[in-house]
Amino acid sequence: MATVTFDQATRIYPRAERPAVDALDLAIADGEFLVLVGPSGCGKSTSLRMLAGLEEVDAGAVRIGERDVTDAPPKDRDIAMVFQNYALYPHMTVGENMGFALKLAGVRKSEIATRVTEAAKILDLSDYLERRPKALSGGQRQRVAMGRAIVRSPQVFLMDEPLSNLDAKLRVQTRTQIAALVQRLGTTTVYVTHDQVEAMTMGDRVAVLKDGVLQQCDTPGALYDRPANVFVAGFIGSPAMNLVTGDAVDGGVRVGSAVLPVPRDQLDRAAAGNGRVTVGFRPESMHQVGPGEGIPVLVTVVEQLGSDAYLYTKLAGEGADDVLHPSDVVVRTDPRTAATAGQQLWLGVREGALHVFDASTSQRVD
Amino acid sequence: MTLASDSRRPALIVETPAPRNGPAAPRRRTRLTRNRWGYAYVAPFFLVFAAFSLYPFLYTAWVSLHQVNLSNLDGGTWVGLDNYTKLLHSQFFWNAARNTLTIGILSTVPQLCMALGLAHLLNYELRGRTFLRVVMLMPYATSIAAATLVFAQLFGRDYGLINSLLEVVGLPRIDWEGGTWTSQLAISAIVTWRWTGYNALIYLAAMQSIPGELYEAAEIDGASRWKQFLHVTIPSLRPTILFTVVVSTIGAVQLFGEPLLFGGRGTTTGGTSGQYQTLGLLMYQQGWSNFHIGQAAATAWAMFLIIVLIVGINALVGRLRSRNDR
Repeated sequence: MATVTFDQATRIYPRAERPAVDALDLAIADGEFLVLVGPSGCGKSTSLRMLAGLEEVDAGAVRIGERDVTDAPPKDRDIAMVFQNYALYPHMTVGENMGFALKLAGVRKSEIATRVTEAAKILDLSDYLERRPKALSGGQRQRVAMGRAIVRSPQVFLMDEPLSNLDAKLRVQTRTQIAALVQRLGTTTVYVTHDQVEAMTMGDRVAVLKDGVLQQCDTPGALYDRPANVFVAGFIGSPAMNLVTGDAVDGGVRVGSAVLPVPRDQLDRAAAGNGRVTVGFRPESMHQVGPGEGIPVLVTVVEQLGSDAYLYTKLAGEGADDVLHPSDVVVRTDPRTAATAGQQLWLGVREGALHVFDASTSQRVD
Repeated sequence: MTLASDSRRPALIVETPAPRNGPAAPRRRTRLTRNRWGYAYVAPFFLVFAAFSLYPFLYTAWVSLHQVNLSNLDGGTWVGLDNYTKLLHSQFFWNAARNTLTIGILSTVPQLCMALGLAHLLNYELRGRTFLRVVMLMPYATSIAAATLVFAQLFGRDYGLINSLLEVVGLPRIDWEGGTWTSQLAISAIVTWRWTGYNALIYLAAMQSIPGELYEAAEIDGASRWKQFLHVTIPSLRPTILFTVVVSTIGAVQLFGEPLLFGGRGTTTGGTSGQYQTLGLLMYQQGWSNFHIGQAAATAWAMFLIIVLIVGINALVGRLRSRNDR
C-alpha cells in the first residue's frame, strides 16, 4: 500500500507541439481508487504510463510512497498493470500467466502455486488454470489480466481502459466486480477510462484531463455538482449539461428570447471578461412552465428510455434546420410525456441549479 | 417476395434452398464449366512444374534403377536396386553424408542463432535501421562464386588474411583447406555469412508482428531484456523458427557451390581426401566425372529421401508441440 504523487510531472513527445502531459499535480491517498478520465488524446494514458515507468518523465517527479521513482525502471516500482488488450502471454497457460512475475522474482514454486490458486478462486478462474488465453472468452481473459495483477500484491494497481474490449453488458457487470475487488484488497488504484460513467461509478475521486492539463480532481458528486469549468461541466453527466452562452443583461443572462435570472454580484463577476456569460443547467433540473413564462423551445426529438424520457429541443426562433446540431437544450421529463416533435414548450430552470461560467475564461463563477 | 427488388440478389438470399432431390448432374456440370477458366489460369504453372520438376524427378527415379552412362542415356540396362545397395556400401557415400551432416550443423545452427540475435537488435529503434537491413541482405544477393573465391583467399594457407592475422597474434598458421574440421569450418563460415541476413530479415518480419504490450507487460512483470527475449520473443517466433530450420536444412543437404569452389580449382573431389566432399559434390562426381549417371541418380534420390525424412520429423515435432499447446 502506498500513496502516489505526481509533482509537476510533464511528458513532451519529441517533435510534438505541446506536452502530452503538462505539469500534472496529483496526490493519491493510500488505498484510494482514482480515475483519470478525458477524451482521447488528453494525456490520461500517458500519465498512467509515466507512473508505470513505460514513458519517460521529461520534467517534474513521480513518487510512490516516499520513494521518488521518476527514473526507476518499471520492475523496481512494485506496480501491476492491466492493459486494454490484456497483453496475456499467448504461449503460457492461465496459471503461468498469473505466476510469471512471481517466477521471475524467484518466489518458491509452492508459494506461487498457492497464490495463483487463491487469486483464481477470487476471480472464478479455477477451472481454467491449464488453458491458454486463446481458449478463453473476452471476459475470462480480462479476469486473467486482473489475476496477473493481484497475485503480485503490488503497492499500486494501474488499469488502462481494462473494460473497453468487453461488450456493453459485461462491461457494466465487470465494472462493479473490479470496484468491489479493489475495495476488498484496499490497494491504491489508478484507473484510466474515456467513459465518464465508468469514472463516476468506480472512482473515489475522478481527475478530468484535457489536452494534457488537469481540469479538476474531485469526488464524483462534487464534479457533478460543482464543475470547475465549462469543459468539465459538459464532459461529466449523460446526457451532457446544457450549456448556453448569452449576453449579461439586467437581472440575468439572455437565452433565446428569455432571461435566466442570475444574482447580481455573480453576474457581474461572470461578465467581467467580455460581457458574455455561459450558463449551464442539467437536463433533470428543468421543468415545463406555462406558456410565455420561461425559455421558449421547439421539440425536435423525443427519446423514450422507459425510466425517463429526454426531449431534445431547439431554442425557438434560433436559426434554420441543422441536422448535425439538432438541439440546444435537453430536458429530462416524465417517461410518459405527451410531448411530440415539433411542439413548442416553455422551460424553467429549478432554483439553485444554474451553473454560471465566465464566457471569456470558461471558469466557474459562484 | 412482395418487395420487388431491383436486382435478383436479395431475392436469392431469401429464397429457400432448392429441394435436394432435384437433378444433381446438370448442376455439377455447371460447376465444372464455371471452374474451367480457373483450371486454365493455373495450368501454366502445372505445365512448367510437370516439365521441369515432375518429369525429371520421375525420370531420375527410373534412371537410378539402370546402369546408364552419359554416352548412352537411352540405352541403360536394368539393374533394379543395385545402384542403391552399391551406394549404401560405398565409403564415399558415407563420407559425403557425414560431411554434409557436419557442415550442415556447423552452418545452420550458428546461422540461425546469429540471425535471431541480429533480428532482435534490429527490432529496436535504431538510427539508420533501413540501411542496416539492406546491408544484411547484401550477402544473399552476392553470387556464390564471387563470395566463395573471396573466402578462399581469406582462408588461403600461404597468403590468406586469416593466417596472417593468426601469425600477428603469435598463433601458428592453419592449413584451412587441408584439414577436415578446418575446411568444413571455413565452408560453414561462407554459408553462414551468406544466409544469416536472409534469415534475420524473416525473423525481423515475424518479430514486428508481436504486440508491443507483451513486452511492456513483461517489463512490468520484472523481465530483463534477456528474459523478454526468452519468454516473449522466442515463443512467439516458434513457427517461424521451424520454417527457417526446414529451409536451411534443405539448403544444407543440397550444399554444392561453396565446397565446389572452395578448393579454388572447381574439383568435385572435395579436397585431396574428400574431407569436404558433400552429397551434392559426390553426385556430380559420379555423374559427370565418372559418367555413372545411374549411380548419380541414386544419390540424388537418396538426398531427396534424406530431406523428406528431416522435414517429416520437423513437421511431426511441430504438430506435437502445437497439439500440446492446445
